[in-house]
Amino acid sequence: MNQGLKAKGAWGTYGFLLPLFLFICGFILLPVAGTFWTSLFRDVAFLPKKFLGLANYIRLLKDPNFWRSARFTLLFAFGSVALEVGLGTIFALLLNEKLPLRGWLRAAVLVPWAIPIAISARVWELVYNYNYGLANYLLIKLGVSSGPINWLGSGWGAFLSLLLADVWKTTPFVTIILLAGLQAIPEELYQQAKVDGTNFYQRFLKITLPLLKPVLLVAILFRTIDALRIFDLVYVLTHGGPGGMTTSLSLYGYKFFLSSDFGYGSAVSVACFLIAFSLSILYLRMGKFGGD
Amino acid sequence: MKKRVLFTIAMVSLLLVTCTRRKSKLTFMVGGAPNEVEFWEKLTETFEKKTGIPITLIRQPTDTDQRRQGLVIPLKSKQKDPDLFLMDVVWIGQFAASKWLQPLDGYIRREGFPLEPFFGRVLESADRYNGELIALPVYVDGGLLYYRRDLLQRFGYRSPPQSWAELVRCAVKAQTTLRRENPNFWGFGWQGAQYEGLVCNFLEFVSSNGGRLTTKEGKPSLNLPENIEALGFMVDLIHRYKISPPNTYTEMKEEEVRNLFQSGNCLFERNWPYAWSLHQAKGSAVRGRVGIAPLPGFGGKPGASALGGWHIGISRYSDAPAQAWEFVKFVTSYKVQKELVMGLGWNPARVDIYDDREVGEKFPHLPALKGVFQTAVSRPNLPYYPQVSEVIQRWANRALAGKIGAKEALDKAQKEAEEVMRAYK
Repeated sequence: MNQGLKAKGAWGTYGFLLPLFLFICGFILLPVAGTFWTSLFRDVAFLPKKFLGLANYIRLLKDPNFWRSARFTLLFAFGSVALEVGLGTIFALLLNEKLPLRGWLRAAVLVPWAIPIAISARVWELVYNYNYGLANYLLIKLGVSSGPINWLGSGWGAFLSLLLADVWKTTPFVTIILLAGLQAIPEELYQQAKVDGTNFYQRFLKITLPLLKPVLLVAILFRTIDALRIFDLVYVLTHGGPGGMTTSLSLYGYKFFLSSDFGYGSAVSVACFLIAFSLSILYLRMGKFGGD
Repeated sequence: MKKRVLFTIAMVSLLLVTCTRRKSKLTFMVGGAPNEVEFWEKLTETFEKKTGIPITLIRQPTDTDQRRQGLVIPLKSKQKDPDLFLMDVVWIGQFAASKWLQPLDGYIRREGFPLEPFFGRVLESADRYNGELIALPVYVDGGLLYYRRDLLQRFGYRSPPQSWAELVRCAVKAQTTLRRENPNFWGFGWQGAQYEGLVCNFLEFVSSNGGRLTTKEGKPSLNLPENIEALGFMVDLIHRYKISPPNTYTEMKEEEVRNLFQSGNCLFERNWPYAWSLHQAKGSAVRGRVGIAPLPGFGGKPGASALGGWHIGISRYSDAPAQAWEFVKFVTSYKVQKELVMGLGWNPARVDIYDDREVGEKFPHLPALKGVFQTAVSRPNLPYYPQVSEVIQRWANRALAGKIGAKEALDKAQKEAEEVMRAYK
């Protein structure tokens, strides 16, 4: 069976890999390298270009606004991923059971995921709005609150509002990935375990979770990388406010690009990339991918 | 596979050909609402017919930030296109400092082009950079006070307030009474969310108290006592007098404020001139009951209006600057400026249009705006303005949120603004 591949030799194999290699170089490695290269310069539209070495990174380390947005971004990423994976697991387990209308339910769960982030952010804007928002309307109608609440008015309020919007939006993604993982677990294992007299929790902990782990890690990895780049939601809902308390790293970097400081903006982007990259490596190590 | 490779090569060569295509036409980059872009398209056609100079319009999106980005990329890479573009007034400092704009003084001197018809203060504060004239205004904008004429009358006021204290008194009185009928009624709506609009509002409060954002030398002067007092007053509007809603500092941008007022739930509104025709449109709850006035001031000091608007400039990298200048003259001519008002309802950059009889008949509120624009104050014309603005937005918004005192906020803002200045010296 391997005869065909061997006959073509190494050139054939590499030939097949070449398009992928070029694609990765052209669309991933080059832009990252280019951004890193730019970050070594003072590249400001209205000043002469100058090589700075690592000076932009030293400025970054001393920049309290950078650290504040890094803290916000990490907190947001961990909070949202934890909630999404927790809820996603529960939904996936439920949807894996033989429920009536299962097909419809599975489709319905996907709806938030199918909506573009910017649009779902606009929808949440209408939920949180102080004057005519759905949340305040319901709370007042139900008599829970006597007057409207300014949801985005405090640092924590804004943080939790963003978190909720993100969890609503991306839990379906985690659910679907985990559901696929669940379906790959052979039914016989559960039947055997039932014969052995195990209860639901034992089966979950001893069969489902270990076999789901690779898929779970992929879901966590994807979600973490995505959450670390959070931009649209913040841009629409708070624009970093109140008082800069919800500025995400990508929004922070964006503001420098917008004011034509490409060097420092690139340094922020590289820092953002490094955080996501090192977390990914960490996860992959934890999941022992690559090695058997 | 082969087909795909060929296809790719064909696409890439096509791309290269399009990028390096020999240039023969003027290009003008402009964005905005669809009806605005359509208007510009017609205008370029008229220009082409009239002068025989071919011109292409490149459509840009509506969003201001995206329009800016769409210009920065070709200019930074020294492209010949676009030859001409419109700029938001706050970009001009940076565009000029980046040497992306062609000075216009040569043409003006040679042709004796008259500058008198334009708002003098706008030219001096926005279009002149280091002594050189590098742009011309196409239309202007400024903050205004909208008020409910019917309600002022009901509470016994004959004219809109001239001082902030008067505005507070009037709003408190009306709000207390009207809340009994309408729990959602507010005294005064303005823009306090963390975005550029907050800087305009802040500048207006500050200037109407005799304060300023920068010194004459262009250094930040954010924590002047007058400024602290003004910011303290803005905080009080929300937290002490409670005549501005709590979401002033989270959600209140132009449209949010306009909707609050237009739904009949607000006595006073700070907004740009665009809100006028919408308030007076069919279906508006306040139609025929809206008045317009200059913004109030502190004590006996005059009020101040933040200058907004768009300006036209010629790229330094343009390969047809003389033809481009013809287009600049065309756009700023009496005829086209009048068309801008009549067609789009924009406020012309030429003072003489405000006295035009036909214009006055269609827009009876326009003559009142003339005085507002004549005294409008500019945001700092600095190359690193976007970052100074970001600092002001963040700290002023934090003070409005009640997280920090006005003095501490502006002290911190001043320190950060000085750091910004040092970073870009």
